[in-house]
Amino acid sequence: MSKKQNVTTTSTGAPINQKPLGTRIWNNRGYYLMFLPVLVFVIIIYYWPMLGVRYAFYQYKLKNITWVGLKNFETMFGKKEFWSAFTNTLQISITKLLITTFTSVLVSVFLNEMHNLFAKKSLQTIIYLPHFMSWAVVAAIFQLFLSTSSTGFVNETLKSMGLIAKSIDFLHSKQLWRPIFYIINIWKETGWGTVIFLATLSGINPELYEAADIDGASRLQKIWYVTVPALMNTVIIVLILNLAKVLNLFESVFVLYNNRVFDVSDVISTYVYRQTFLTAIPDYGYTTAVGLFKSIVGCVLVLVCNWASKKIRGRGII
Amino acid sequence: MAQVKAGSMRVQAKKNKVHVFDIVNYIVFVIIALIVLIPIWKVLVDSFNSVGVYRFMLWPEDFTFNGYLTIFTTVRLYRPFLNSVITTVLGTLLGLILSTLGGYVLTQKDMPGRNALSFFLLFTMIFSGGMIPEYLVMKQLHLVDTMWILVIKHGMNVYNLVLMKNFFEGIPESLFEAAKIDGCSPMGIFFKIVLPLSKAALASIGLMYAVTVWNDYSTVQIYITNPDQVNFQYKLRVMIMDGDTPTTAYKVSQNTLYYAAIVVAILPFMAAYPFLQKYFVQGVNVGAVKE
Repeated sequence: MSKKQNVTTTSTGAPINQKPLGTRIWNNRGYYLMFLPVLVFVIIIYYWPMLGVRYAFYQYKLKNITWVGLKNFETMFGKKEFWSAFTNTLQISITKLLITTFTSVLVSVFLNEMHNLFAKKSLQTIIYLPHFMSWAVVAAIFQLFLSTSSTGFVNETLKSMGLIAKSIDFLHSKQLWRPIFYIINIWKETGWGTVIFLATLSGINPELYEAADIDGASRLQKIWYVTVPALMNTVIIVLILNLAKVLNLFESVFVLYNNRVFDVSDVISTYVYRQTFLTAIPDYGYTTAVGLFKSIVGCVLVLVCNWASKKIRGRGII
Repeated sequence: MAQVKAGSMRVQAKKNKVHVFDIVNYIVFVIIALIVLIPIWKVLVDSFNSVGVYRFMLWPEDFTFNGYLTIFTTVRLYRPFLNSVITTVLGTLLGLILSTLGGYVLTQKDMPGRNALSFFLLFTMIFSGGMIPEYLVMKQLHLVDTMWILVIKHGMNVYNLVLMKNFFEGIPESLFEAAKIDGCSPMGIFFKIVLPLSKAALASIGLMYAVTVWNDYSTVQIYITNPDQVNFQYKLRVMIMDGDTPTTAYKVSQNTLYYAAIVVAILPFMAAYPFLQKYFVQGVNVGAVKE
C-alpha cells in the first residue's frame, strides 16, 4: 500500500494521479481488459494447483479422499527412499552447478583472450549449439554412444585402442552414473553458460589491460589479476540465481537414470513421478505432500537467494 | 611524455609478436570445438549411413535416405512430428500474446493495482503447487492425454513476461503520451507503437517459447499416454528405450533410423540457429545482465 502512495506522490506532472480512484480505474479500463487473459491463465496454471496442496493432508486413492492430518509427512520422513532422493537432489544439483559454472568461467576467460574476431564468433556459435538440444535428444545421443552393443561409439573405440577389454555399461554403473551425468551436463551447458560471463568481460575497461601491459604483466598475469577479479561478482550472481533452482532437477535425470542406479540418481521429482505414475494405486495425497515439502524448501531457497542478491548487487532475483 | 610513448611502443611490439600463449589457446579451442561437433557430426553422418558402424566417419560409407523416408512415411512417426510442429507454433503464439499483453499493462504507471498485479504474477516464481496438484487440475480440465496441454502449460511464462516488460520500459514515454493526446486507445497504442518497436524482443522471446515447447519431453511423459497425442521428443525417446522400430517399406537399419530421428528432433533449431543466434543470445542478456 505504502508503495502505491509513493507512486502517486513522486511521479510529477501526471495530473491523472490526482483524480479520484474510481475515475482512475475507469480511465484504465482498457488495460484491465487487456490483462484479463493473462490473469485467467495465471490462475489456471499456477493458482488453482496451489489450492491442490491441501491434498497433502489427505489420503487420496482412486476416488477416495480422507483426512489424515500430518500422517503423509510422517510417512515421508520415515522413508529411506525419500531421504535418499532428497540428499541426491542436493548433491547432484550443487555439484553440477559448481562444475558447469567453473568450466564456463574457464572457457570465457580464454575465449576473451582470442583477438581474432571471426574465430571468436565461430567458436561461440559452436559451443552454444548443444544448449538448444532437448534433454530427450541429448540422452538419446549419449545412450547410443555409450551403449554396449557393437555400434557403441565409446566402448568400441576404447576397445580398439586397447584401453579396455570388456564393454563398460556406463549408465547402469553406480560408480560411473554421476560422473557421466556431470560430463553430459558440461557438454550441454558449458558453452551457453559463457554468454553471461562474456557479456561481463566485454565491459572491462581496456585501460586496465593497458596499465598492466605498461607494468610488464604477462598474459597469464593479466588474466589472473584483471580478468578473473572482474568476473567474480558475476560468478556469485550466477551461483545465487541457480542455487534458488537446485531442487527443480527432473528432466535431465529422468532421461538418463534407470532402476539399477536409483541409489545414486533418484531425485525428489523423479521419486514423486514414480510414486504417482508408476504405482498401481497411487496415493495422490502422499505424493502431493512430498511435492509440498519440495515447494516449501524451494520457496525458502528463493527468498534466501533473493535476499543475498539484493545485498550483493542491490537487485533481487524476482 | 617520451616515457609513455616508449611504453606504448613496447606494448605495440608485444602485440605484434606471436605468443606461445595464443598458439596453445587456439589448439585448446580447436579441441573444445571438436568435442562439441564430433557427437553432432557423427549423429548426422550415421543418419545417412545404411550400415551401423561404431567408428566416427567424416562421410557416410553407404549413403541412404531411408531413415528419413521411414520417419516421414510412417504414421506412428510423422504424427508426433506434426504434433510437435502444431504445439510449437500455437504455444509460441499464445506465449507471445500473453507476455506482450501482460508486459505492456504492467508498464502503465498510472494504473491502480499495478503493484498488486505484479506481485500476483511474481509470487508464482516463489511458490508452486507441484507436479501432482498441477496434474489433478489438468485432469479436471480434461487436458490430460491431449497435446493441447503443451500449448497451455508453456503459453504463460512469467519470466518471459517480465523480460517483455523490461523491454517495453525502454520505449520512450513521450511516444505514448503523444499517442494518448491524439486519442489513441490502449489497444491502439499497443498495436501501433509498442509492437512495431519491439520486433527484436518479439523475436528473442518468441524463440525462447518455441525452443521450450519443441524441446519439452517431461510434460508429455507426465500427462500424455495416448500415442496419437505425443510429440516427437517423446516418440524419439520411447523408440530408443523400447527398441521399438516400425515396419516399413524402406529397408533401414535400427541405427540409421534412430540417428535420423535425432536429426529430425534437432533440425528446426539447428537450421535456424546460425542465422538467429543474435536473438537467442539477446534473450539471456536482456534478463540477466540488465542492471
